Amino acid sequence: MSLLRTPQSGRSGIRSLATWYRSGGLSAIVFALPLVLTFLYFSWSPIVRGLVLSFQKNNLVTTPEWVGLANFSYVLTDPQLPQATVNTLYFALLALIFGFPVPLFLAVFISELRSAGWLYNVISYLPAVVPPVAAILLWKFFYDPSGAGVFNSILGWFGLGPFAWLNSPDLAMPAIVLEATWAGAGATSIIYLAALTGVRTELYEAAELDGAGIWKRVWHVTLPQIRGIILIMMLLQLIGTFQVFTEPFLFTGGGPDNATTTILLLIYRYAFINGDFGAATALSVLLAGVLCVLSVVYHLLTRRWSIT
Amino acid sequence: MTRVSRWGARLGLAGLVLAAAGCADGTTPSTDAGGAVDEKAPVTITIGDRPTPDKPNDIAAFERNIKEFMDAHPNITVKSTETKWDAQTFQAQVAGGSLPTVMNISFTEPANMIPNKQLPDITDELKLVDLTKDLNPDVLKIVQDGDGRIYGVPIDVFSVGLAYNRALFQQAGLDPDKPPTTWDEVRQYARQITEKTGKAGYAQLTKDNTGGWMLTTMTYSMGGSVQSQDGTKSTFDDAPAKKALQLLKDMRWSDNTMGSNFLYNQEEIRQDFAAGKIGMVLQAPDAYDMCVKNFGMKPADYGHGALPQDGGPHGTLTGGSIKMINPKASTNEIVAALKWIKSQEFDKYTNEQLAVQNAKDSIADRGFVGRPGITPLSQETYDRYNTWREPYNNVPVEQFEGYVESTRTLKLLPEPANKAQEVYALLDPVVQQVLTKKDADIDKLLTDAASKIDARLAR
Repeated sequence: MSLLRTPQSGRSGIRSLATWYRSGGLSAIVFALPLVLTFLYFSWSPIVRGLVLSFQKNNLVTTPEWVGLANFSYVLTDPQLPQATVNTLYFALLALIFGFPVPLFLAVFISELRSAGWLYNVISYLPAVVPPVAAILLWKFFYDPSGAGVFNSILGWFGLGPFAWLNSPDLAMPAIVLEATWAGAGATSIIYLAALTGVRTELYEAAELDGAGIWKRVWHVTLPQIRGIILIMMLLQLIGTFQVFTEPFLFTGGGPDNATTTILLLIYRYAFINGDFGAATALSVLLAGVLCVLSVVYHLLTRRWSIT
Repeated sequence: MTRVSRWGARLGLAGLVLAAAGCADGTTPSTDAGGAVDEKAPVTITIGDRPTPDKPNDIAAFERNIKEFMDAHPNITVKSTETKWDAQTFQAQVAGGSLPTVMNISFTEPANMIPNKQLPDITDELKLVDLTKDLNPDVLKIVQDGDGRIYGVPIDVFSVGLAYNRALFQQAGLDPDKPPTTWDEVRQYARQITEKTGKAGYAQLTKDNTGGWMLTTMTYSMGGSVQSQDGTKSTFDDAPAKKALQLLKDMRWSDNTMGSNFLYNQEEIRQDFAAGKIGMVLQAPDAYDMCVKNFGMKPADYGHGALPQDGGPHGTLTGGSIKMINPKASTNEIVAALKWIKSQEFDKYTNEQLAVQNAKDSIADRGFVGRPGITPLSQETYDRYNTWREPYNNVPVEQFEGYVESTRTLKLLPEPANKAQEVYALLDPVVQQVLTKKDADIDKLLTDAASKIDARLAR
C-alpha cells in the first residue's frame, strides 16, 4: 500500500519499496497472478473475442472478413427475432408471477416448522440434485399428450383434459415454466432460508407481544428483513430467465411452431445449425447489452427499498 | 424459481460459441499441406464414429478391424474417437477444429463445405489408392465441385420409403404385404388403422430439422421441388408443398388419425413406431436396425414400402453418408485415411471371402445382414456382393419388397443443394403449426417460410 503514496524523495521511495517487499507485497502479487491470468484468459478473452466476432463474417475455418454492423442489422431484421423476444419475455413474466413466490413461500414455511425442518429442506432441494436433462426427460413422460399420460390421467379423474401440453402452442410455455419452477425452487429457497436465519428473534418476540399473528409477523417482520435478498434474487432470476435455453431445447426444440423459441435458442441455431458465428455473437452482444441496462434500471428503481 | 445453479449452463452456451472461436483461431486449411506422397512414412490417423460403450460387441469388432488394418499397414497408426455427425453439433465441431482425420457426414454437408474450403481435394489421392473406378458416377456428383474435383467418398446411400407396422395392418384388416403406394391410400389406411386399433395410423417427423426434411420428401413425391437448381431461391411455395401440408392437415384435424404427439425427432418416432403406437411413418430402411436392435421391435412386424406418390411416379428423396477427411490432414494422412476407407468400406464388395467374413461378423455382433439399401457402386458389383452374402441374411428381406421395387422404378432426387439443414430448420415450424393449430393458414405459412429461407440463401 505504501507504494501508492507519492514518495517525497528517491531515498524514501526505495525505502517504501523495500517495506512493501518485506511486508509481503511481491508474494501477494505472485499468488494472485495465476488467478488473474486464468481469469483474463478464460473469462475475458472469450468475451473480447466474441465482441470481435460479432463484427466479422466468420465460419472459423476460412479467413474472417470484417463486415461492420452487417451482423447486427441482419439479426435485428430477422423475422424470427420478434417472436423469440416475445417468447423470452413471456417466459420471464410467467416465471416471475408463478415461479418467484414459490421458493419464498417454501423458505418461510420451512423456517416456521418446529421439527423435521431438515426433512422438508431435503425434499425441496432434491429437484436441484437431479441433472436437468434427466429431469426434463422425466417431465416429458408426465406431459405425454395422450390420455394415458401421467398428468392427463390424473386430470382425467376430475373430468379434465386430455391436454396436449408440449404439443400445444398455447400450453407449451406454461408447461416449461412449471418444470423450471419445480427444478429451481429448492436451490433458491435454501438461499432464502439462510437469509431468514439472520432475522433477529427479538423482532418476532416484539411483534408477538404486540399481538401479531403468523401472517402479520411474516408480512411486517420477515419480508422487510430479507428484502435485500429478495431484490437480488429477483434480479438474478430476471437475468436467468432471459437466458433460458435448456428447457425449450430439450422439451420442444423451440416448437411447436416456434412457440417456445427463445433468444438463446435462436443464438444456438445461428451458431450451430447455420454455422453463422457472426450473427450468433452479434445477438449475444445485444442480449448482454440489454441485460446490463436492465440491471442498472432495476438497481435505480429498487434503491429506495434496499437495505444498503 | 431462480436457477442460480444452472446459470453456468446458460452462460456456458454463450461461452461455448466464444470458446470454440478461441480454439480454432481461423486456421486456414491448404490442400497441398503435405507435399509429396510417401506411402512408407509413419503416419497417424484418427477415425471417428467409434461405437459408444453401451455397444461392447460393436466396439470389439471396431477394435479388431483397426488391429487388422494396422497389422497390414505397419507404418499407419490408427486412433479412434466417438465423434460422429449430428446436424445440431457438426458446425461447432468444424469450427472448433476438433474433427478426426476420417468421419461419416451427411450428403447435405459437402455442397456448403466445398466452397468454404472445409473439405480437402482428394482427387489425386483417390486415384493413387485405386478407388475412383469403383464409385457410382451419379452418386459421386455429391462430392464434386464444378471442375469435377473430388472432396469426399460416398459410402452409403438411402432413399426414403414408408415404414409400416405389419401387426397393426393385420389387426386393422389390411394386407401386410400390400403397403399403400399413393397418398390417398395412406390416408384411407390410416383411417382404418386408427378406427380398428386406436393407434396413430400415420405419424410425422417434425423436430430437429426432420420436419423440413420430411416435408421436402413429401413435396418431391407430389411432383414439387424445394430449391432452385443453383440453390439461390426457394421453390416450394406452390401446389405440391401445399398439397402435402393440406394432406397432413386433413389427416390431423378431419380424420384425427395422427395420434397425439406432434413433436417427434428420429429417435422418438422410431421408439413409438417400434412400440406399436404408430401404423405408418416415412423412414429410410435403416430404421429397421434401430427399431429391432435398440427398441425391441419384432422383425416380423416390420414392413417397408415405397414412398407413396401422388399423380404419377415423381421420385423419392435420397441422401446418405460420406466419409469426409479433415481439411487439415497432410497428403500422407489423406492417403492413409483413404486406404482405411477402402479396406473398411469397399474391399468387401470385390472380395467374396471378405464379404462372407463380414456377414458372419455382423451376425456374431448381433448386427444385420441383407437389409436392402442403395449402392454407392455400380449395381452389378452390388448385386454380386449381395449374392455372396445371401446365405447369411438375417433380415426378412421379403418384408421390404415394396421398397426394393421402388429403388429401381422411382427417380432418386437429391436433397436441396444449398444450406439444406438450414432450410429444413426453417420448415420445421411450418409442419408443426399445421399439426398443432387447427386454423393454420397453409398459403401464408409457405409464403412466410419462403421469404425467411430466401433471406438465408442470399446471406
